[in-house]
Amino acid sequence: MKAIIRLAAIAGFVLATTTAIAQTVKIGLLAPFSGPFAIWGSQFKQAVEAYQKVHGDSVKGAKIEVIYRDNAGDPTRTRQLAEEMILREKVSFLTGFALTPEALAVSELITEAKVPAIIMNSGAAIITRKSPYFVRVSFSVNAFTAPIPAWFEKEKIKSVYILVSDYAPGHDIEEALKEGVKKIGVNVVGAERMPLSTTDFAPYMERAGRANPEVVYMFVPAGAPSIAIVREFAKRGLKDKGIKLAGSGEVQEAFLPAIGDDVVGTISGFHYTETNTNPQNVLLRKTLVELFGKDATPDAGSAGAWDGMRLMYDAVAELGPKVTGDQFIKFARGRAWDSPRGPISIDPEERDIIQNMYLRQVEKRDGKLVNIDLMTVPNVRDPWKIANPNAK
Amino acid sequence: MTEPGKTTLAPPFTPPGSGLGALQLRDLWHLAPWLIAIGFYFVGDGFHSFGTNILIMILFTLSLDLALGFAGIITLGHAAFFGAGAYTAGIIAVHMTTDPLVGLLLATLLAGVLGIITGMLILHTQGVAMFMLTLAIASMFYEVANQWRSLTGGDDGLTVPRSAPLLAYFGFAGFRFDFRGMTGYLYTLSVVFLWFLIAWRVVKSPFGRSLDGIRQNPRRMRAIGTPVWWRLVAMYGLSAAMAGTAGALQAHATRLVGLTSLQLELSGIVAVMLVLGGERRLYGAFVGAAFFMIVQDWAAAKNPVYWMFVIGGLLMAVVLFLEGGLMGLVDKIAGLFARKPGQKAGGAK
Amino acid sequence: MLIFTILLDGIAYGMVLFIISVGLTVTMGLMRVVNLAHGAFAMLGGYLSSVMIRHYDAPFIGGALIAALVCGALGGLAELTVYRPLYRKGELAQVLLTFGMIFISIASMTLIFGTTPIAESMPKWLEGLVDLGFRTYPTYRLFLIGVGALLALGLYFIIERSLFGARLRASVDDPGMARALGINVNLLFTLTFIGGCALAGFGGAIGAGILPIEPFYALRYLVLFLVVVVIGGLGSFRGSLAAALAVGLIETTGKYLLPQLGSFLLWFIVFGLLLWRPYGLLPPKSAT
Repeated sequence: MKAIIRLAAIAGFVLATTTAIAQTVKIGLLAPFSGPFAIWGSQFKQAVEAYQKVHGDSVKGAKIEVIYRDNAGDPTRTRQLAEEMILREKVSFLTGFALTPEALAVSELITEAKVPAIIMNSGAAIITRKSPYFVRVSFSVNAFTAPIPAWFEKEKIKSVYILVSDYAPGHDIEEALKEGVKKIGVNVVGAERMPLSTTDFAPYMERAGRANPEVVYMFVPAGAPSIAIVREFAKRGLKDKGIKLAGSGEVQEAFLPAIGDDVVGTISGFHYTETNTNPQNVLLRKTLVELFGKDATPDAGSAGAWDGMRLMYDAVAELGPKVTGDQFIKFARGRAWDSPRGPISIDPEERDIIQNMYLRQVEKRDGKLVNIDLMTVPNVRDPWKIANPNAK
Repeated sequence: MTEPGKTTLAPPFTPPGSGLGALQLRDLWHLAPWLIAIGFYFVGDGFHSFGTNILIMILFTLSLDLALGFAGIITLGHAAFFGAGAYTAGIIAVHMTTDPLVGLLLATLLAGVLGIITGMLILHTQGVAMFMLTLAIASMFYEVANQWRSLTGGDDGLTVPRSAPLLAYFGFAGFRFDFRGMTGYLYTLSVVFLWFLIAWRVVKSPFGRSLDGIRQNPRRMRAIGTPVWWRLVAMYGLSAAMAGTAGALQAHATRLVGLTSLQLELSGIVAVMLVLGGERRLYGAFVGAAFFMIVQDWAAAKNPVYWMFVIGGLLMAVVLFLEGGLMGLVDKIAGLFARKPGQKAGGAK
Repeated sequence: MLIFTILLDGIAYGMVLFIISVGLTVTMGLMRVVNLAHGAFAMLGGYLSSVMIRHYDAPFIGGALIAALVCGALGGLAELTVYRPLYRKGELAQVLLTFGMIFISIASMTLIFGTTPIAESMPKWLEGLVDLGFRTYPTYRLFLIGVGALLALGLYFIIERSLFGARLRASVDDPGMARALGINVNLLFTLTFIGGCALAGFGGAIGAGILPIEPFYALRYLVLFLVVVVIGGLGSFRGSLAAALAVGLIETTGKYLLPQLGSFLLWFIVFGLLLWRPYGLLPPKSAT
């Protein structure tokens, strides 16, 4: 008799705990929290916390638990952590991913495990083709070049020198820009690929200066490299010569104070202008300041994280806490919503993002360095995917 | 004082036992790590990938024990051979065949050859110069891998296709590598066991003993006619081959080879593991690597900054206070129990 | 024209390396201690001066000098507590212990300052370009060349022309004999160690424009400092100047003319040089 009661108690306990556990949706967020790209991890985390402050940490009774893991920007570590998240923590979603190699490292894993990975930052065009379980809410770097040809035409610019970091997104953007400017007859006077670990851009800026272009177009990962390269542009006298500097994510608002006044006048084609007045953006900025102090600035990483959370929350709200990978992917395709950046949607075929591209210029307003919109190109689909429908 | 007319004979000489007949009960301790490893296979669900990583680091640390612990070659460039093995296995899997054993063998061979060549070049120097030369070699390997993007993937890393089923020869279907990593775990464990046996034999052999002597006093060893340089080169080459195997195993296990496999940081970490565990103990490699990986996993999950504090502090503590590492500590504790008059304190291994 | 750029950039880079590494050559040559944590002092100097400049409005040079003083003091403290027991323990123990110190310094800096490299705090008078007639050149790098040359000159006078320097050279050449003559070699060690750490801190502070200050600085540039010291010859001041300039020039030449090789060129030359001259280019007498 006692044995039966004991068994029943145990069974009841197990049932209760498993049901309780089943009501938690775990999200594994993998990003660099240490090392040279730690800025991404911290931007992601801040935006996630901001989102959870506004929307709460549970959806229809199911608790949303975000587990943060530092991959130090290392793809090998990312893969190991992803395995742990899937096998040990039994996460429903993987997210984060600052640089491209981190995302590429998990592509086969998520396909086998059927766990969706929502990319909050990594920008190389090919990523979403590597697994049917990738959904990207951030950007594809090729799209950054979308507004540039229009600006060239407006300013009657005829020559450009291209400097990119030597990794997948860098190559992508170099190709995309070359394609874009070829159509309008602009001359590419030189193009160079710099090792990803470069901290001293002096030699590259020297050579760029000698080639005498009208514009230098750069692409380096945002953070220490981007601060250094913009500074070097001025230090080597290119700015004084009247050459213009253009890029994308290098001059996000969060980095402008570190670069200093030299950055004024820099052009960028980017998907998120931090000073825009969209209601979602206002909410994001307000919450960040509430939680992290008056100097808290959102950037592309924050916007990506905010929208990633939005997508996952919406999915759990509609499909329940036991949502499977396949259900989620079906849900995400074609989904559209208002982001801090403007209106965005998920491409139903490629599972990549479709969003506006803005052309901005750095100015000093009220003593603060900010990006101001000059032009907008609406609803840009990744040009690389359009040009390469079958590449994997 | 002997009595006149009587001669005292020396006690009869009994050579130390060898072979299976010499096994005693306390030798069963040697089985412990292997039993734990096999047991882990059955109970460590979800952790097999972690366990495989620990085994790989154990092998790498063991290789460093041979070069640094026994032969006394102070090197912070051993990651060169690990990375060489990893990239070789990866490149073979991408371009030649996904049979894991082919990649493993070729990686081991290549790393060994590289070890012998570089050893021949640098092992006649000593002290700081040799140390710098090991760094120079490792840096050159790194730069080559970094620049030769078409082969190695550069900063993006090299994605390694899944290994073909293991031992799929002569009509046998072979053991499939599942993504839970259980086959990978046993595969890695078997390879580590094989290398351990080899290391054990080498260390106990006259060759291994002579290297112990070389480490302590090369001049004297030369004086008694030992070909010091050749022995060092041979040991270095063996150690390099072993490190190469570890790299290849990692390429097969994580299916991704990155530049971190060649970095100074990795060489430093494996030296830390060795010292933590205790050099020249063979099992020191096991203890040190396992301890480090587990602490790192736990600390990094809590806060990535803390684990550097922990490891740095541990390293300093071990160097300042705990010579012989954790195994040395084990010895001291065992010595407290085992000391009897006339017997040596602790279990000398 | 390019050759002037390479020369100037290379010498500027080399000067920073010299200022930071000269202390290390003394530690390793005189005290025979492998101090891998030397880069940590340079890093600390960089962080300290940056804090001085941003939060206490210290002038650029003043901040660097204060950083130097603090690093020197910390060096003295470390010498008494941590390095003394190491003298007897052998190279491996020194390598490992100082490696542990590197980890701790990286972790501390990450904790206090975060992982992003700190923004450069370049004073107005160092920004911009100087017109050299045939080309313009960043003021900052000329400043580095100037400071490096001044320091080299100053050190020359101290080492070659002062009593302290004579005693130091004697101790490097033959510590036993020096002791026998009544020279307090241990005190000399400690003072020189303090000086070396102070110089490292100073070098880290003023060199922040070329070697950006971030928590991994201590590890990232360690190999460069070691190369300078070993190639120059342990304990040799002239050697470390020559080696620092050589490294600076080789690296810069590689960057401008052969970027596909990366740092391979430098390491290849280091490798060859060490095989040819294991004791360095200009070793002091005691080495051979």
